[in-house]
Amino acid sequence: MGSHLRSKFTREEEVKYISHLDLMLVFERALRRARIPIAYSGGFNPHPQMVFGLPLSVGVTSESEYADFEFHAEVDPENFKSRLNANLPQGLKILEVRERKAKGNIMASIAIASYDIFVYLGCSYDIIQERLKELLSKTTIVVQKKGKKGVKDLDIRPMIHKLHVLKLSKNEIDEKLNSKFIDLDRIHLNEDNGIYCIRAVLSAGSNANLKPELLMEAIKEGLNFDINTLKIHRTELLVGKGGKVYNPLDPVVLLGE
Amino acid sequence: MKMTLKISDNILRNVEKPSRYTGNEWNSVTKSLDKINIRFAFGFPDVYEIGMSHLGSKILYHLLNQREDTWCERVFAPWVDMEEQMRKNQIPLFALESKDPIKSFDFFGFTLQYEMSYTNIINMLDLAGVPLKSSMRTEDDLFVCAGGPCAYNPEPLAEIMDFFLMGEGEEILNEVLDVFKAWKNEGAAREDFLDRISKIEGVYVPGAYQVQYESDGTIKSVLPNKSHYPERIKKRIIKNLEDVFFPDKIIVPYTDIVHDRIMLELFRGCTRGCRFCQAGFIYRPVRERTPEKLLDLARKLQENTGYEEISLTSLSTSDYEGLGDLTENLIKEMEPLKVNLSLPSLRIDSFSLDLMEKAQKVRKSGLTFAPEAGTQRLRDVINKGVTEEDLINSVSIAFNGGWTGVKLYFMMGLPTESFDDIEGIADLGNKVVDAYMRVPKEKRGKGLSVTISTSSFVPKPFTPFQWEAQDTMETLREKQRHLKGMIKNKKITYNWHESQLSLLEAVFSRGDRRLGNLLIKAWEKGCKFDSWGEHFKFDLWMEAFGECGLDPHFYANRKRDFNEVLPWDHIDVGVSKKFLQRECEKAYRGELTSNCRVDCSGCGAASFGSTICTG
Ligand code: SF4
Repeated sequence: MGSHLRSKFTREEEVKYISHLDLMLVFERALRRARIPIAYSGGFNPHPQMVFGLPLSVGVTSESEYADFEFHAEVDPENFKSRLNANLPQGLKILEVRERKAKGNIMASIAIASYDIFVYLGCSYDIIQERLKELLSKTTIVVQKKGKKGVKDLDIRPMIHKLHVLKLSKNEIDEKLNSKFIDLDRIHLNEDNGIYCIRAVLSAGSNANLKPELLMEAIKEGLNFDINTLKIHRTELLVGKGGKVYNPLDPVVLLGE
Repeated sequence: MKMTLKISDNILRNVEKPSRYTGNEWNSVTKSLDKINIRFAFGFPDVYEIGMSHLGSKILYHLLNQREDTWCERVFAPWVDMEEQMRKNQIPLFALESKDPIKSFDFFGFTLQYEMSYTNIINMLDLAGVPLKSSMRTEDDLFVCAGGPCAYNPEPLAEIMDFFLMGEGEEILNEVLDVFKAWKNEGAAREDFLDRISKIEGVYVPGAYQVQYESDGTIKSVLPNKSHYPERIKKRIIKNLEDVFFPDKIIVPYTDIVHDRIMLELFRGCTRGCRFCQAGFIYRPVRERTPEKLLDLARKLQENTGYEEISLTSLSTSDYEGLGDLTENLIKEMEPLKVNLSLPSLRIDSFSLDLMEKAQKVRKSGLTFAPEAGTQRLRDVINKGVTEEDLINSVSIAFNGGWTGVKLYFMMGLPTESFDDIEGIADLGNKVVDAYMRVPKEKRGKGLSVTISTSSFVPKPFTPFQWEAQDTMETLREKQRHLKGMIKNKKITYNWHESQLSLLEAVFSRGDRRLGNLLIKAWEKGCKFDSWGEHFKFDLWMEAFGECGLDPHFYANRKRDFNEVLPWDHIDVGVSKKFLQRECEKAYRGELTSNCRVDCSGCGAASFGSTICTG
């Protein structure tokens, strides 16, 4: 039982085109359908007290999203999970729920995000592997980032913690890229090209944040081959605490032990 | 054969709002193909956000899906960016739920909410690969049909549609589908199906009617080709609104739509009889739901959707007798769930202001009023039972209650309108400002803003003004300029509608079936989304008129004789032509007609046997 819960959830293909703002509304309505006693802010325009981890870009899927909820009554985590799941649309699913005692909401503490970026390349595995190594051996990687105040230069090298490329078997392709939105039929595979998975561990959150889309632009720069991003999938989010990183559901984070 | 299309990321990443095309919303319906016999594509000829906001479509979608043998899916007009992608990638128009091509369906049914969506219908048929004209469709094609308020003058689409459904759809749709099922099992000919459904009251099969013209271009007669088709087609209504199907769940979209809330329909029809208002005549007689029923529906809808807002919708919600009780009970139940109540188009008195304050915790900015005309004389002509005193009282109450924004809606070009009436609009605006100034400084809110908006009057079928000429664009512009010159107060803003669109609305609302070719011609030239300012191409429309040998002024700016055969005379909405003529004559004498609740004026709709008419 608790009046503050943290939950981990997935966001799959079916709901990947919803904006972050709209996703919050999806949760608000699901909570209301489930009659879960979510707390509301006071004031003129009351808002449900929920905080989401790191917003996903439109079109990106994830198996590792987090949200904090605050209630005006004690709520049992398992009961919360089953009731909310019964009211969430296809593609959103709560995986795990834990009580949160320590202060510090999920949004403020995010530090690291991992992604699987599935790409279709006009070059062989060896070449892409080579190029990624080259990229990582640089001390600075400056890219242009479009922000609200126009374009500015940004060194993304310090925000890349791991970066490597994986080959995929036929089965893995079928399984991971089996989406109603991905048209694999249009892709012709042969020896010298193919579908690979670029696995990236990147800085995330309010201090330093590297979006996978921006990383892909940097990689594109260094390649003189076609590179098509088929799918971006978030596999992990980690929070920072006292210079270390933890799983957001770790007792150290949740209970402040 | 798997027909499902891949609406792939490659396409969706290149459009502005992909969630318009992905479906899968809460409460949307999917069915297994081997368990159904009838596939119905419900078309709304505008974008997702608009179509999804329409209550009637929601009702019929869930009604059809209640049938075990039928799967009804939604189809909206793809926005121009999506259309470009679809044409480039050879993707035909598809249904939102299954992503299957529309061509493989049994029905493609459109709801006609406004005339300026007609080119979108043509475009959607083309995208679907369905022949544009009914006469070109063969045994392999689905049936294209339409209903909704604009279907009461079906003629501009007579060559496009295979059949129309007149009036409220809840019963008639089911009857048509029952016939279809039997017909399909027998494997009978296409024409045979149309023959069979023509026997259902309210079904109009335009291809079976012959139109004869006089030498001056007016209509001589509209008669069925075959003896067993009815000479007049009578609209259908639901007599008992209390027991008719109303969905207890509706689709909850992912993306912001225009009306993103639960809509509770209190009643159908309107008793006021404003003479310009088509809705006031075509939906007669008034039929209501009880407050108990409404409360029950609200409860279920809320539970099944999780929506944060409920609105009460009807033509003039203030007329609902149980409004006070209903809102009180709704607020009591919904408040703890953090669900708001919104009350549109209320007549403003202290009672309703109180109600609004309780319901919405609204920001005290905008209140809207629709006096429609600037002088009492003209308001009497249109039978708008509002006096200047009413308006000034209402705004004074509002200003005293802290409201600071007032929007005033007027129509320009009403029958008998003179420049005095135009000046009356400016006068009313000034008097509203004066009313604000009379409220003690410490009581009134800061920053008064009065907005005056004028739209151009469009004469509509089945109204007392169906014979009237619309003002020419030149006259309308002159009136707009005049009014603009008259409004000097800085607190008053003046907005007006472009008269070009109003001209086309006037053409199509009272058009005949010769307009079918015009529609196709205009679409070929690139006209679509005409009601979206940035896509409206007036010049192309005028070219199309020229090439089709048609004159827009014949339809829009010509005053008809009472004896003229009107293109919609073979449609029977219950209100008699004699009554409409009587109302028109009274209008010219400035005589008022009372509200149905006070006194029946014998419009003819009593033939439907509703309690309001028969006492
Ligand atoms: S018959 Fe009388 S009461 Fe009924 S709708 Fe007509 S005017 Fe009103």
